[in-house]
Amino acid sequence: MDIRRLEPRDIPLIQHANLENLPENYFMKYYLYHALSWPQLSYVAVDVSRPKKTPYDYPKIVGYVLAKMEEEPTDGVQHGHITSLSVMRTHRRLGIAEKLMRQSQLAMVETFGAQYVSLHVRVSNKAAIHLYTKTLGFDQDKTEASYYADGEDAFSMRLDLSVIRNQIRDAAAAESGDEDEGEPVGEAGSKALPVREKDLKKVKVGRGLGVQALVEKDESKHS
Amino acid sequence: MPQPLSAKENSLFRQVIRNYEDKQYKRGLKAAEQILKKNPKHGDTMAMKALIINSTGKTDEAFALAKEALTADMKSHICWHVYGLLYRHQKNFEEAIKAYKFALKLEPGSPQIQRDLAFLQIQMRDYQGYIQSRTAMLQAKSQLRQNWTALAVAHHLAGDLAQAEKVLTTYEESLKSPPSHTDYENSEALMYKNSIIAETGDYQRALDHLESIAKHNLDRLAVLELRAEYLAKLGRKQEAAKAYRALLERNPEHSEYYNKLTEVLGLNDDDGTARKAIYDEYVKKNPRCDAAKRLPLTFLAGNNFREAAKTYLSLMLDKGVPSTFANLKHLYSDPFKKQTLESLALEYVKERESQSGGEANTEGELKGTPAGLYYLAQHYNYSLSRDLTKALEYVDKGLKLVPENVEFYMTKARIWKHHGNTRKAAEIMDQARNLDLKDRYINTKSAKYQLRNNETAKALKTMALFTRSDSSAGPLAELIDMQSIWYLTEDGEASVRNGLIGLALKRFHSVYNIFDVWQEDQFDFHSFSLRKGQIRAYVDMILWEDKLREHPFYTRAALGAVAAYLGIHDSKLATNAINGSANGTEEDDAEKKKALKKARKEAQKAEREAAEHAAKQDPNKPKAATSDNAKRDDDPLGLKLASTDQPLVEATKFLLPILQFSPKNIDGQVAGFEVYIRREKYLLALRCLNAALAIDATNPVVHEQAVRFRKELSSKLASLHPKVAEVINTEFTAIPSSTDLKKYNTEFLKQHKDSASHVVSAVKIQKLLGEDQKTCEKALFDILKLKSDDWEPAAEALGLLFQWRSSEAEAFKKAAEDTWPEVTLFQPPPSPPNATKPAES
Repeated sequence: MDIRRLEPRDIPLIQHANLENLPENYFMKYYLYHALSWPQLSYVAVDVSRPKKTPYDYPKIVGYVLAKMEEEPTDGVQHGHITSLSVMRTHRRLGIAEKLMRQSQLAMVETFGAQYVSLHVRVSNKAAIHLYTKTLGFDQDKTEASYYADGEDAFSMRLDLSVIRNQIRDAAAAESGDEDEGEPVGEAGSKALPVREKDLKKVKVGRGLGVQALVEKDESKHS
Repeated sequence: MPQPLSAKENSLFRQVIRNYEDKQYKRGLKAAEQILKKNPKHGDTMAMKALIINSTGKTDEAFALAKEALTADMKSHICWHVYGLLYRHQKNFEEAIKAYKFALKLEPGSPQIQRDLAFLQIQMRDYQGYIQSRTAMLQAKSQLRQNWTALAVAHHLAGDLAQAEKVLTTYEESLKSPPSHTDYENSEALMYKNSIIAETGDYQRALDHLESIAKHNLDRLAVLELRAEYLAKLGRKQEAAKAYRALLERNPEHSEYYNKLTEVLGLNDDDGTARKAIYDEYVKKNPRCDAAKRLPLTFLAGNNFREAAKTYLSLMLDKGVPSTFANLKHLYSDPFKKQTLESLALEYVKERESQSGGEANTEGELKGTPAGLYYLAQHYNYSLSRDLTKALEYVDKGLKLVPENVEFYMTKARIWKHHGNTRKAAEIMDQARNLDLKDRYINTKSAKYQLRNNETAKALKTMALFTRSDSSAGPLAELIDMQSIWYLTEDGEASVRNGLIGLALKRFHSVYNIFDVWQEDQFDFHSFSLRKGQIRAYVDMILWEDKLREHPFYTRAALGAVAAYLGIHDSKLATNAINGSANGTEEDDAEKKKALKKARKEAQKAEREAAEHAAKQDPNKPKAATSDNAKRDDDPLGLKLASTDQPLVEATKFLLPILQFSPKNIDGQVAGFEVYIRREKYLLALRCLNAALAIDATNPVVHEQAVRFRKELSSKLASLHPKVAEVINTEFTAIPSSTDLKKYNTEFLKQHKDSASHVVSAVKIQKLLGEDQKTCEKALFDILKLKSDDWEPAAEALGLLFQWRSSEAEAFKKAAEDTWPEVTLFQPPPSPPNATKPAES
């Protein structure tokens, strides 16, 4: 399976995969909202070798991660959020979900300086909880009662992204050493600043961007 | 002339505007009426009142009042602006643009009118208008970067790359200090400019520019990908190779990187060993990487392939990866690889069985022997290696080892589907669903198989297990709301098979409407994306939206609708024909009425259940139900749709996007011919016919159409305009006018006598050209002797016999059942429903 960034033209089949697999569904516009606000963060797994039935077949989506940055983080800390993650039943055990998540996390740090990533998972979804905690290292943060439309509770989970931040910093430092005078690269390269202080910096992403109408369409948020 | 307002009323008027903006419609209305009491012809107030009325859902009233307002005050920009807003609300963007232009002429400085106009222009792809608007907006507020970027986008979309780049550069040069490294509006604008340079084809300049902005750019992946691409295009192969390696370090699961790497390394296509070495490197670096292990199988040959395939297959089956077959089936187009994989899988099972002494010790998991059996079941179920008896054997073997395994049940259902036994397939898929009730994927499959077996009510019930239960609108409305195109299409197709054409049209129209919504969805992003600063993604979206209806989702539903409308047109013709016997028999009508009655009952029941359910959810909320009533569907069974006077006009509406966006789809061209020949638009029909011939001249239906076209011309050509006749004569070369059509068709039949679908087409034409029905019937019976696995032409033949009211139809059906005993369509109808009552209540 090929893993690559999501493109707008993938959306109909992402929506299709979501409708086939998960009870939390969204309109096309909500996918567009993700793809056009944080195009770096969402990834798809596609079956590129699948024989085409018509000359107009779009690449078949067998898995996707739909991710975003929190627009107005209540804790003031810049962080990412996984809106939806799904892999077709027929394509499990290939590590696709993990690979999608890792690509997304890398981009969260590189492009948006995310400190951590959060997500919600149904308390009954053993396989997903295993993936998040055991494979990807998420911590269980708290339980949110009746988070889902059908009344089920959600575990709220988060993963600190400092490992990726450090990797990027080290890579940047190495690169600077090779090629130029070691000017810090981006936010992650600024070694001199104590990270703690940056953690507490208030972010102003998406403020007043009139996205409320879109955010409201997040069906999973209805209790 | 406008009436001047007093100071008090002026402030009241401002309040009306505020109320409208705050959605306090009642208050706004009250204040507006207060003004109008004293100044009944005050245009601006009338216009604002119209706007408020419109927001409460009374569109017609609003339009009437807005027109009155304009009569009272033609020179008011507010009146024109409101008029534009009303049209925009109605999605009549063309009229809205006109109104806005008037408003802007009267109030050239209004930023709001200008903005609204600009977004309508880009929505309608009026690039020149958009450039004008954007230029004006930039002049009004040149300190805002997004205004510069927006003008660049306008030039870019209009095709003027140089101008787009120039605008971006002008802004960059105006900056006094460099933007911060974390400013992604800046980061993105630079990348956007880079993409424009690359689009001009000047990769050297694109590369130079990229290197100058790369260091602090926040879109690291895009920088790496573009750099690799430019280097490769410029022939700087070593650097390009290094760049592709860097990309593979990040993501070793992207096949394109491997392809490009081998390309820039100059490796020969048939040098399998050298090519494989590259992939092996990445297997070593990433032991869990799938692509590096699997991709070499596409280019390896002979023994090298065998070795690599063996390693891969054993690894995957030991691990129990259910998608192993899905990952390899594309190799089956190569007969050697197909055969090798089959023997490797057989060997694998044999080995594992001998190791475990026949007892699989996998604790119910799909690993080892069961995984091997699962692979083989899928292998023999696949169209290129099909042996359904063997496939079923392997499923049964597998189920002995892992009795509760959903995957085996799913495959078993698919096997029956390929047999044509939709009834059994649906039953077994539902057994699979019952083994894992929490999984929506298997639930979806079960519903789909029920639809394929024409059990629409049951399918909706299955779907309802996973739709939101708190909505009072019921599962169907929920599925429409969530844009579940697959369900609507399958339900429509099942309704066609059930003879419920209205219901089918209803579903196909729902899909059509969803595409309209998808097209409108872009509207908000014209402003949103500029504020977000994510320009490349926005431009990608625009280009994708431009050919939105190219999607096979659209084509499939639209073809269903076209066929249904053609059917309506044809049966109307038959009813009007003097020959009364072409009419539906009483028996037929009774059957249809029965089906319709059943569908009506089901719809009512579903509605009632949904309402009851909602009431149970929240007994304190009876109001929600009444508001839902307001938008209740007044034609739930699509009877109004089916009784249209203009079925061909409706069909054309569905057809045009197919012809425009999917011209290489032969089914679209075939459908186009059928619509246009009925509309006597012979040039358009010929265009479709010629396009279909160019795609596949051996297609049997295209043969039918060519003969029909020539036959139609022989009687109609003389009555056509001489110019049209001339064009047709020169363009229609497939069958010359002097051809003896009967002979031509006999020749075709002789040539294709071993292909059932060609025979069916030839027989249809025989009948059309006046052949005796008995002879035609006999020819159809002959296709049963062809001993093919493909039963579908026989199904078409059966349909034909029914259409001819042939006394042989039942005999044919029986004979077909003898040939393909598993095909549900040829079997007698199921016993009364009590016998197969679903398990759940």
